[in-house]
Amino acid sequence: MTAIDLTRLRYMTSAEGEMATYDGAARRRMGFFTDTTLCIGCKACEVACKEWNQLPADGYEFTGMSYDNTKELSGNTWRHVAFIEQAQAPSPSVRWLMESDVCKHCTHAGCLDVCPTGAIVRTEFGTVVIQDDVCNGCGYCVVACPFGVIGEREDRKTMGKCTLCYDRLKAGATPACAKACPTESIQFGPVDELRERAQQRVERVRERAPGANLYLQDPSDGIGGGGSIFLLLDQPQVYGLPPNPVVPTRYLGQMWRAAAIAMAALAAGVIACSTTRRA
Amino acid sequence: MLDHAQSVTGYYGRPIVKPPAWTDLIPVYFFTGGMAGTAATLAGCQRAAKNHELARVMIGVAAGGCAVSAFCLVADLKRPERFLHMLRVFKPTSPMSVGVYIFSAFSTATFAAAASDRLGIAAFAGRAFEALAALIGPAMSCYTAVLIADTAVPAWLYGRRWLPAVFASTSATAAGAAGMLACEPRACAPARRLAIAGEIATLIGTRQLHEELGPRQALAYTRGQAGAFAAASRVLGVAGIATTLVAGKHRAGARAAGALLFAAALCEKFSIYRAGCASAKDPSFVIDAQA
Repeated sequence: MTAIDLTRLRYMTSAEGEMATYDGAARRRMGFFTDTTLCIGCKACEVACKEWNQLPADGYEFTGMSYDNTKELSGNTWRHVAFIEQAQAPSPSVRWLMESDVCKHCTHAGCLDVCPTGAIVRTEFGTVVIQDDVCNGCGYCVVACPFGVIGEREDRKTMGKCTLCYDRLKAGATPACAKACPTESIQFGPVDELRERAQQRVERVRERAPGANLYLQDPSDGIGGGGSIFLLLDQPQVYGLPPNPVVPTRYLGQMWRAAAIAMAALAAGVIACSTTRRA
Repeated sequence: MLDHAQSVTGYYGRPIVKPPAWTDLIPVYFFTGGMAGTAATLAGCQRAAKNHELARVMIGVAAGGCAVSAFCLVADLKRPERFLHMLRVFKPTSPMSVGVYIFSAFSTATFAAAASDRLGIAAFAGRAFEALAALIGPAMSCYTAVLIADTAVPAWLYGRRWLPAVFASTSATAAGAAGMLACEPRACAPARRLAIAGEIATLIGTRQLHEELGPRQALAYTRGQAGAFAAASRVLGVAGIATTLVAGKHRAGARAAGALLFAAALCEKFSIYRAGCASAKDPSFVIDAQA
């Protein structure tokens, strides 16, 4: 048995930018910047992801949700393109929003904190990966994720999610979705560079779309900032994203304190019921 | 669809966080595991009070609860053959990892104590294991509340201060009720008192839980299946208390009251579980809490 000390990877900020430390070697933390203003809804990212990672198909269900028949991220689907239709003045014009969603590779990752087998690890790229030869499918990560990213991967009976193409990164290649994206809506690179690029981009976009905002770019937010950051044109919940996600383990101390009081009260109650003499 | 409506209903009303991928074996485990924990504590206290008849029944109840719990925990895994992977690491950040060690230690001590008691062998070691199980019992009854609170599920995360109290009180009700069902009335006065105290604490604790959640988030507990289980639990619980007070000292009365209170505690655990599922499936709970 080994005690896991990698549950909270320490990030160092240096002149070279944000670094991930692992086994003594330092590397830059890698991630995605998904610029939804450039997305054309082609779903090449979904297909490239399925092909490269050999994920099970989603079937042929027709949802009626605009062009979205994928519905959600899950163990079988690691990229999901959302389509949002919005009525605009003057009627009948419509604004059509598209967004390719993916695992956020959180700085403080709920799934990683709660995984009881050590199957979920932080990699040398600062990403969060489920090792499917270790996962026993307990399902705790599914409910611990503030974004609803994780689900059961049907063909393997383990939990699945985006690995940021860990195997491709090892070989120095770009993740499949970013490689396939024809408009550079999905950009791959070191997270600190992506944050800077996202900031410049949102300032330009705001000149024409005042509602434009960056999502998960702030390292002081409830998940310590995402390894995946997004440029959105409306509120996060419109895209099916939580408006202010917080890693549940932030409150773990509070929870155990409440539990300690409950345990003490329970023990006291049992003793009281046992010792009271009855006629 | 208008912009404003989308900021309230989210993306086609689809869930923002995932509902549990668990089967109903998990709420059953919350019940049997909680009952086993408190039953072992009661067994230890009764042994110390020289009420060997009730002590023997309660350590038996604890062992039975452990056996059902172990089955539920393993059978719910998508890969049950990998159950032991839980024991390859210890992670304080994971209540499930902490819990698996609590459960392992507790069930080992309980099985050893019950075996020693039934077979009449190694009495000293058996008593030592019984005392150990009694000590771990409260943790066994309450850690599952931390387990579900440490999730992104609104009904659980936002009820984190009172969930452990409700888990403790329903465990007391269940253990007391099991004692009333399995032990002769002359020896089970402590079990009766524990069941009544537990049920009263549950009624108060659930009110506090709803207060902590606020009216909007508490809807997860009052609507749908969760609401139906909660209502059933209240009715069964009040009927169980009344029956215990009126006829708890008679055999048939104790059995009936025990069954009512046992069912009340089971319904309460299912109500909490269903509330979590409902609050995850409906994105308005996350949006209300975070926007």
